[in-house]
Amino acid sequence: MRQVCFYFQVHQPHRLRRFRVFDIGRGRTYFDDAANREIVGRVAAKCYLPANRTLLELIRRSNGRFRVAMSLSGTLLDQLETDAPEALASFQELVATGAVELLGETYYHSLAGLADEREFAEQVRLHRAALQRHFGVRATVFRNTELIFSDAVAPLVARLGFRGALVEGAPGVLGWRSPDHVYHADAAPDLRLLPRNFRLSDDVAFRFSNRSWSKWPLTAETYAQWVAAGDGASAHIFMDYETFGEHQWEETGIFEFLRHLPRALALHGVEPVTPSDLVAQSSVGGLRFPHPVSWADESRDVSAWLGNALQRAAHERLYRLGPAIRSCHDHELLERWRRLTTSDHCYYMATKEYGDGEVHQYFSHFDTPYDAYIAFMNAVQDLEQVVTADRALAWEAGIDNQLVGVSAR
Amino acid sequence: MRVLMFGWEFPPYQAGGLATATSGLVKGLLRNGVDVTLVVPFQVEDAGIPGLRLRSTVGAKGRWKRIRVPSPVQAYHTVEQYALQWEETKRGTGGRGNPYGANLFEEIERFAEIAEDIAAEEPHDVIDCHDWITYPAARRAAAVSGRPLVAHLHATERDRSGDGANPEIQRREREGVLAAHRIICNSRMMKRQVVAEYGAVPGRVAVVPWGIDEQVAKADLEVPRPFGDDAPVVLFLGRVTRQKGPEFFVEVARRVADVEPETRFLMVGTGDLLPRIIERTVALGLAERVHFAGGLSGPDVDRAFRMATVCVMPSVSEPFGLVALESLRSGTPCILPRESGVAEVVRHALRADFWDVEQMADQVVGVLRHRVLHRELQRRGAAEVRSPRFSLDEPARGTARVYREAMNVSTGGG
Repeated sequence: MRQVCFYFQVHQPHRLRRFRVFDIGRGRTYFDDAANREIVGRVAAKCYLPANRTLLELIRRSNGRFRVAMSLSGTLLDQLETDAPEALASFQELVATGAVELLGETYYHSLAGLADEREFAEQVRLHRAALQRHFGVRATVFRNTELIFSDAVAPLVARLGFRGALVEGAPGVLGWRSPDHVYHADAAPDLRLLPRNFRLSDDVAFRFSNRSWSKWPLTAETYAQWVAAGDGASAHIFMDYETFGEHQWEETGIFEFLRHLPRALALHGVEPVTPSDLVAQSSVGGLRFPHPVSWADESRDVSAWLGNALQRAAHERLYRLGPAIRSCHDHELLERWRRLTTSDHCYYMATKEYGDGEVHQYFSHFDTPYDAYIAFMNAVQDLEQVVTADRALAWEAGIDNQLVGVSAR
Repeated sequence: MRVLMFGWEFPPYQAGGLATATSGLVKGLLRNGVDVTLVVPFQVEDAGIPGLRLRSTVGAKGRWKRIRVPSPVQAYHTVEQYALQWEETKRGTGGRGNPYGANLFEEIERFAEIAEDIAAEEPHDVIDCHDWITYPAARRAAAVSGRPLVAHLHATERDRSGDGANPEIQRREREGVLAAHRIICNSRMMKRQVVAEYGAVPGRVAVVPWGIDEQVAKADLEVPRPFGDDAPVVLFLGRVTRQKGPEFFVEVARRVADVEPETRFLMVGTGDLLPRIIERTVALGLAERVHFAGGLSGPDVDRAFRMATVCVMPSVSEPFGLVALESLRSGTPCILPRESGVAEVVRHALRADFWDVEQMADQVVGVLRHRVLHRELQRRGAAEVRSPRFSLDEPARGTARVYREAMNVSTGGG
């Protein structure tokens, strides 16, 4: 392959605390601010700061020829701003080099694209404003939450002005075709699609430190060779940014790997590009997504978030509250509700077995998926009650105003 | 392979889970081609297990003359509780079918005396025993036959009695554990404990989690609805002793009743804390909400599980916790003690620290309020305990493996 596109997802949710049934109606916070602060601080120290430093050094050394893409969720930006400003500054420094492209997404890293078109558009606009404010840039390529994409989502993304989107290179979508080309969405022909090469991506994201893997230990040289050996035009390698230092610890040699990668790629004649470079190219064909596809779990669908009855019940209850929340015109309530739309809350409720189950449990701060469900439902119940009380007040206020109007006449 | 096994409880002579565990193990071993001779200290009746050779030490001529009297002592009792209950027994108000002697230590000694004779008569390749109460008998038997000794440790004295542990029992526990070629614990937690407290060599301690009988109670079991059809029932099932944390259950009941006032609470079991627990429920204004069923057995236990919406186990110490498997098998979601053997092996159940009343109450209310949560826990929990992992065969095969290891080391293999 002549070109390679690296993209890193950078995201942290506002984790719920164990919001108990006894907390309902008492004006208590849903989120575990202390734990969230602790986690963001830890991940910043172990991953964001050292990885950003490494990337910055690589970009400078290559005079900007080493290029990557990132997306930073709004919930992460919020937390960096208050709890790890030095990490936010280092992201800003990276973006300022011009070699790091930022992608658009929903501010709250939510499943709104599957549930609520209006909310989806709203959250994408909020994220756009945040990129403008923190980085002074505008994203032209979109990456929906965890690469969730479908024929229904495609036109929404196109309508919001994006020229391309990142998608999972799922065998069910590609069939016999290679993920290593630029495609377009059949449901939105102007929208270019970059399918993820999950084999090359997972070699780093999941297998890098696995000692029982036949290719362990993986060197940058070997990896560059694999990338170069591909038949397609461009390899799209997408993963969590937390791969560097958090999922794969520093001791595994992941930073060394990253440090040697640009030179190894250059030796094999592979050019790093960004998504906006690629979406300017022509499409080799159209892709259809009759069912939603994502990069999560073995099944690469949305079952990581909506796979069991608990998750669906929680998701449906939350989005049912949407119209009422918006009609309150209360910024703080809306913000609370939107933080609950973050997909991670549903992810923690997954009850899958074996490999997938272990990955879910690794990310979850709850003991069991059932505890995640209980805390979430308690919080939604509280929010429902607040909204009902708020509307009752508003209604009474409305009556009062009318009475005033009548008597004044 | 022939095993000579020393047990102290066996259905219907039982005070707690030890009898269920022993009978499950025996059934599993027989099914997996291990011949079992079980020696017990009570009158042998038909155990209803084909192929099992049962031997009783009752009526056997020990060299030690004694008179058998009804006794209140159970494997789980401290000597102090024993003294209290002995008074009851003398007054004729004690429990039924009790396999224990008037003086526990004398009884154990007598059991051990006769064990020597049995060991000389019964052909066997390996000796197994269950908890401290049978250790002296097994050691004496091993000394006679020269066969390797395996010791099951289901619970330690500290588990049963906490800070009130009897040092004499602990001494016997330690001696038995250290004398055995192999020790079998039913959880990793228990293994850590026996290594830390008694200095057992980790390589000699095997972990074999328990399974349960696949035979589920009949589907047409008539389940009484004494509280009316709609009232949800929260269940505590276990001995009403310090170890099982009944006082935490009552506090949970109070918190749950605060937000779900229709809820009923059912306490099944007896024990020395029962009077205090009853007083506490009255003091908390729960007299009409908490129901005491006393000790139940057989199909009544299944009925209790079927009646319940959720089962709570606030055990202070729970080396394994068979009740959880029985509950899940009956389709009753369960809240497990976080520190327990069963919490190491069961995924589809809630768990909480025994002292965390708020959390348990929150979980109970969650299960009562959310039908979908109850259904998921019920469905997945039942499916999980029906897997071969929790059958009687899996623990039996694990145990037989340990027997073979013990036989290898004792014949100079290492």
